[in-house]
Amino acid sequence: MSNPGRESFWSRFRRPDSTLIAFSLIGSTLVIFSFLALATITLTQLADLTFLVRVATDSRVINSIALTFGAGLAVVFILLLFGTPLAYVLARTHSRINSLVEALIDIPLVLPHTVAGIMVYLLFMQRGLLGAPLKDIGIVFEDALPGIVMAMLFVSMPFYVNTVREGFQKVPLHIENVARTLGATRFKAFVLVVIPLSARHILNGSVLAWGRAISEFAAVIMIAYYPMIVSTLIYYRFTTGGLKESSAIAFLMIIASFSVFLVIRIATRYLGSYDDRV
Amino acid sequence: MIEFDRVGLALGEFSLKDISFTVRGGEYFFIIGPSGAGKTIILEAIAGLHVPDTGRILLSGKDVSTIPPEQRGVGLVYQDYSLFPHMTVEKNIAFGLRMHHLPSSEIQRRVEELLSRFGIFHLRSRETLNLSGGEMQRVALARALAIDPQILLLDEPLSALDPGMKEYFIQVLKEIHRDNGLTIIQVSHNRHEILSLGTRMALIMDGRLEQEGSVRQVYASPATREVAEFIGYENVIDGVVVSSGDGECLIDASGLKLRASCTVPAGQGVTFCIGADEVVLHSPQASLSGKDNTVQGMVNAITQSGYLTRVVIDAGATLSAVIVREMADEMALRVGSPVLLTIRKNAIRMIGK
Repeated sequence: MSNPGRESFWSRFRRPDSTLIAFSLIGSTLVIFSFLALATITLTQLADLTFLVRVATDSRVINSIALTFGAGLAVVFILLLFGTPLAYVLARTHSRINSLVEALIDIPLVLPHTVAGIMVYLLFMQRGLLGAPLKDIGIVFEDALPGIVMAMLFVSMPFYVNTVREGFQKVPLHIENVARTLGATRFKAFVLVVIPLSARHILNGSVLAWGRAISEFAAVIMIAYYPMIVSTLIYYRFTTGGLKESSAIAFLMIIASFSVFLVIRIATRYLGSYDDRV
Repeated sequence: MIEFDRVGLALGEFSLKDISFTVRGGEYFFIIGPSGAGKTIILEAIAGLHVPDTGRILLSGKDVSTIPPEQRGVGLVYQDYSLFPHMTVEKNIAFGLRMHHLPSSEIQRRVEELLSRFGIFHLRSRETLNLSGGEMQRVALARALAIDPQILLLDEPLSALDPGMKEYFIQVLKEIHRDNGLTIIQVSHNRHEILSLGTRMALIMDGRLEQEGSVRQVYASPATREVAEFIGYENVIDGVVVSSGDGECLIDASGLKLRASCTVPAGQGVTFCIGADEVVLHSPQASLSGKDNTVQGMVNAITQSGYLTRVVIDAGATLSAVIVREMADEMALRVGSPVLLTIRKNAIRMIGK
């Protein structure tokens, strides 16, 4: 869909606009920074393809990437299940308690991740408030997948809840009201009207939360150094095997993450395209 | 029948205060009032979207205050139409029928019937976002009527339409009201809509009911100065009754002396209103014997508004008159020029009496 507010990159130069040109030059610093970082690691890795292939076929590396992506998916699943209702309540109610709840959800955004890790560890360790009773039914968090998922969940929930809440707020209350007068219960109106009209926000929230989850390191190692997620593995290889080995895994992670993001973006390009028109 | 029985309802800073009124079955009832007065909240409360904090809402004698909207069978059309943008026209209209679990053949039949009735059959597969205002309005009405409601609530449904479309929809609403035997409650700011469609009306200001009555009654005797001003009386004037008798009195308003039909005793202060279209202008040379009130004045200001000319006259008190533009040109009205004006006795309406 064409957007009259946006100009193509080249049109700026056909009709010079000093502000846009200056902003482009200033902004390009960040783009160059990111590009150089990517180019450096890519060139370094492509210089020794044999080594890269050996690392890429190392079962510990493959398992670690799979574990990281899988734990990230579990986080998204939990957020879809628990974060979506919370986001809806926050979007549709105006209680004084809402600000408090929003502040609680946002806490991980303003904390050093080591602090987030300590909080999750204290809660889920075997003597923790939740860790102890859950251990009794066989769920252990320390150095286990559930610990990884909980640490990732804690740091990624604000990204999901805030994005989805904004999506729900964008759906006019009138549309939901009309659905209800036509015979839909509040839940049906939510499923048939609100969800489809905020699908893109739900997807964006999921992608952001997944990205945030798989990139977590500090919070995860506090509770689960093992099994090693990619960040932990890279750090471990860096301290034991040096830069060459760790940067090969890092490069593979970049390729894998980028591919996943690209596929999601292409596959869902038209999803909820009425989002910005409601 | 819809009854609001001392309904109080707080929503953030705003509240409805102790509102009581009755809408009888089959009426075309208007709720009017300034922006933010609470008109939409009243409609939403009838639809079941707000539960009153105090008082009761009764539909056909049954207290429905806590019954959710999906069980009330009340149709609602908002000013912005609120069509579902992710559904086609056809699916929008079918939505209510699907929610009521009608068989798909019946849904199909009723949707097609409504599409034809509203002249939008050719739009059935279109996305609603690409429709014109008039087309959206038809879809919204068809969707609300699909569930065969007993009550239809319309929240300023014509305000976003151009004048031609407005006239067309006034006729459509008339037909819907007549053919479906519906009780319609419409929120509006527009005098023309109220006078064309309404049987009774209520005026809400700042969450309070100011006046309720038949449209004729409210226009003939507004309860307060605010009501008179809101329903469009441009001349709301304070005066004192100089003499009174035989159902007629002479009022003095800052030197403007007028005879009116009233029973207020001499010496008492009154507030009265006169529609700007009831103040009839004549050239100063005109002979006007036998007219109720003939007053001399001087033109203070002239403004054009489409085909009409608004003339502000100093006649002791300030009076506004509206005449067609051609007539104003013919009379060669200028600021400062003298003018004669006549006002029928019955056009002077006492406020609060």
